[in-house]
Amino acid sequence: MDSPTDIPTITVTLPNALYARIGNRKSVSASGRTVREIIDALDQNFPGLRFNLCHETGEVRPYVSIFLNRENIRSLQGLDTPVFPGARMHILQSVAGG
Amino acid sequence: MTHHRAYAQGTVLILVGTKRGLFFLTSQDREKWNVEATTLKGRRIYHAVLDQRDGCRLFAADNGDFFGSFLRYSDDFGQTWQEPEHGIQFSPDSDQKLVNIWVIEPGRPSEPGTVYAGVDPASLWISSDGGKTWEPNAGLMSHPTRDRWEPGAGGLCLHTIIPDPSNASRMWVGISAVGCMRTDDGGRSWVFANKNTRASFLPTLYPEFGQCIHRLIQHPSRPNVLYQQNHCGIYKSMNAGDDWIDIQQNLPSEFGFPIALDVHHPDTLFVAVEDPEARHNIGEQFTVYRTENAGATWELLTEGLPTGPGVRLGVLRHAMCTDAKDPCGVYVGTNTGQLFASRDRGDSWHLIADFLPPIYSVTATALG
Repeated sequence: MDSPTDIPTITVTLPNALYARIGNRKSVSASGRTVREIIDALDQNFPGLRFNLCHETGEVRPYVSIFLNRENIRSLQGLDTPVFPGARMHILQSVAGG
Repeated sequence: MTHHRAYAQGTVLILVGTKRGLFFLTSQDREKWNVEATTLKGRRIYHAVLDQRDGCRLFAADNGDFFGSFLRYSDDFGQTWQEPEHGIQFSPDSDQKLVNIWVIEPGRPSEPGTVYAGVDPASLWISSDGGKTWEPNAGLMSHPTRDRWEPGAGGLCLHTIIPDPSNASRMWVGISAVGCMRTDDGGRSWVFANKNTRASFLPTLYPEFGQCIHRLIQHPSRPNVLYQQNHCGIYKSMNAGDDWIDIQQNLPSEFGFPIALDVHHPDTLFVAVEDPEARHNIGEQFTVYRTENAGATWELLTEGLPTGPGVRLGVLRHAMCTDAKDPCGVYVGTNTGQLFASRDRGDSWHLIADFLPPIYSVTATALG
């Protein structure tokens, strides 16, 4: 069983549209072993944030992009992508439109 | 410094939901109007309504392009907004996901804490605490025909809710493209109420369900009298939706989205029928149509409305309303951002706002 110290804590940067959700900040810290766990942890601290990022059915919303160390998780293992200590997560709104 | 927004008693407040934000128009005399943007900017506001049953709570259906749809409410005329503690979100095991929130409807005067909302995918949501927590209506979610419901062009949306003020167990909803449905047991079960309304886009012209209802309204003092603007006709029911009578009469098109009535003279109704293919005014004259005899005949209202070879205006389902004054005001917003108003029940019109984003909804309230 993992001890709390085995669970990575990383910095997550969010887009301007979600600053209000996290207390008018640009980035926050969260702990988890996968992207899914990071989102779970964010939602614990900032209720409603998961619904901003994911549909009720679990998948990431189509115009939300999550990058882990500059790699889009869609090209990794999606929400099951492992998170390692020192990683940086960027959550962005995708380009939509022309 | 925060400006405290306050309005004098009797002010008419029009809430204008647009493709890019919520706007207010206010007037003391319905002649000079003040236009204000609100802090809900950049969002698709499908509907907004002011609930004055117990205070003054403003509700908005805020559909974001990126980060989800949220019902929001404000007790300070839109300066600050709150999210429900338990909002409109499907259960993770329901296999449903919220697409858009289409309409918010305050409940009956006898149930001041109750608020209803209609969404895509077609479902009715109920709050019993003024909007803080929301639950879906189970009877509609588990309707035995649900797996055969098909969306209209705007989605599988529940866009109209009429809680019958004379019967706490009765309610109607309008769903595109399912039709009119009614409950007589407080939402436990729902029946279709589409008899004699057409679905000319289906193999069967008069199916039990599958009609593309666009808007539904109730007579203010005869609760069994309903009117609807449908994709395929304008109809009246004298028996709570058991069957419908075609009242298109001399209207030049069966197709349109909104329908509204004068609450002081409820045989007076307004529609804005359109070219069904192009979805804008017929010909070169933007026109609102009025009946003063409950649909027996219709007249064209054009004084002050634009005309010319470039006039091609469309009106969406929630983008026309009346106020409760007498003579009633009529307000029509276009999908190109013009808002027209009449303060003489449609006899003459004025452009009271222009260059707005495409208008999705207008609701008018005289502040008490």
